[in-house]
Amino acid sequence: MNSNSLMSTISSWINRFETELQVDKLERKWLRVALGMVVLFVGSILLTAIVSGVHPPSHVETIDSASLHLGGEFAEDKLGVQAEALADGTLLVKLVAGRYGFYPREIEIPAGRKIKFRIASMDVLHGAHIPMTNMSTMIVPGYVAEVTTVFPKPGEYPMLCNEYCGMGHDHMWSKVTVTTPEDWRAPAEEIRHE
Amino acid sequence: MMKFILLACLGMTLTANAGAEPSSQVAWTPQNLDFVKKGHADHGQELMGTCAGCHNETNANPNLEGQLPTYLYKQLQDYKSGSRKDPTTAMNGMASTLSDQDMADVAAWYGRQKPMRGKGGEEDLTGIVYRGDGKRMEPACSSCHGNSGQGEKVDTPRLAGQKAAYLENTLLAYKNGSRANDIYRRMRLIAAKLSAEEIKQLAEFYAKQD
Repeated sequence: MNSNSLMSTISSWINRFETELQVDKLERKWLRVALGMVVLFVGSILLTAIVSGVHPPSHVETIDSASLHLGGEFAEDKLGVQAEALADGTLLVKLVAGRYGFYPREIEIPAGRKIKFRIASMDVLHGAHIPMTNMSTMIVPGYVAEVTTVFPKPGEYPMLCNEYCGMGHDHMWSKVTVTTPEDWRAPAEEIRHE
Repeated sequence: MMKFILLACLGMTLTANAGAEPSSQVAWTPQNLDFVKKGHADHGQELMGTCAGCHNETNANPNLEGQLPTYLYKQLQDYKSGSRKDPTTAMNGMASTLSDQDMADVAAWYGRQKPMRGKGGEEDLTGIVYRGDGKRMEPACSSCHGNSGQGEKVDTPRLAGQKAAYLENTLLAYKNGSRANDIYRRMRLIAAKLSAEEIKQLAEFYAKQD
């Protein structure tokens, strides 16, 4: 089918719509408004995606959620704030989300420094959210969630689960202490528990 | 001789890289879940005679009837691998004689028995069973062990009707770290925040549940 015959098919359909179907004048106006809105919204999504580079999450790193504890980067003795910072000075924090808590339950990080969280779920879908900050991510079982942020203000924050995960969901929170950069001490290299 | 040196070197690098042992070698992959689900209860019945010699009403050993097969299977595996240590070492010895299939079979048989039941009349004096304690980051017992202590997927054990002395000793063992086969210290973290008094009250509460 070439483009000419396609166009004529479409125009014949519109013709049928206009003549054979009983469409009220007012109804037709509203149909145009609705159609216009669809074009506007789809257009603006496409425009922002192309112009400002907004894309769906592409950090798809898979992991076996059932055997996190057996080894690898989410082994029991490898969690928490990592003693060694990344090359650009970013602190790496590794957490495991499981019903009902984020492990380790308490972490301490400095304000004003880039923090990269890597979080994996050991069971079901969880979310990690620190109120009053922009740290928020979904933790899908089978994938590693990664988010980088900076906490400007020192203080004690809760890290809450914001995806319903079961009967204890409202108890699922852990403590994040953000200290001033001067007060912060890097965790020792020895094996940390919790 | 060369071979020996190579092996020795390999052994050294392996131990250097090993790090701390995980608290349990059992992982609930779909294959393992399926394996336990397909345990042969009739073969389990042949094996259970040995268990019943010690797990009965005349002593403080835990009731096994109606317990989750996944929980029983994991405990047997943990006894065999040494992740869970029986203070008397009796269970470690017993489990080391069982194959994976034996464990799944005996777990299946016990899982199908009429569950242990308490006398009723329980009262939660701690307030932790259903509500937990937000100030201590303590989730409610019922959120994992079920509303009536019946146990929940994947391997959270049934508590209802269990012997009070066993429950109390178990919580105390988690609290002092002598029982350490809970992945990511989940139960150890919870038990550490409970007082000895609360542990006693919780044990009595769940023992009475039917």
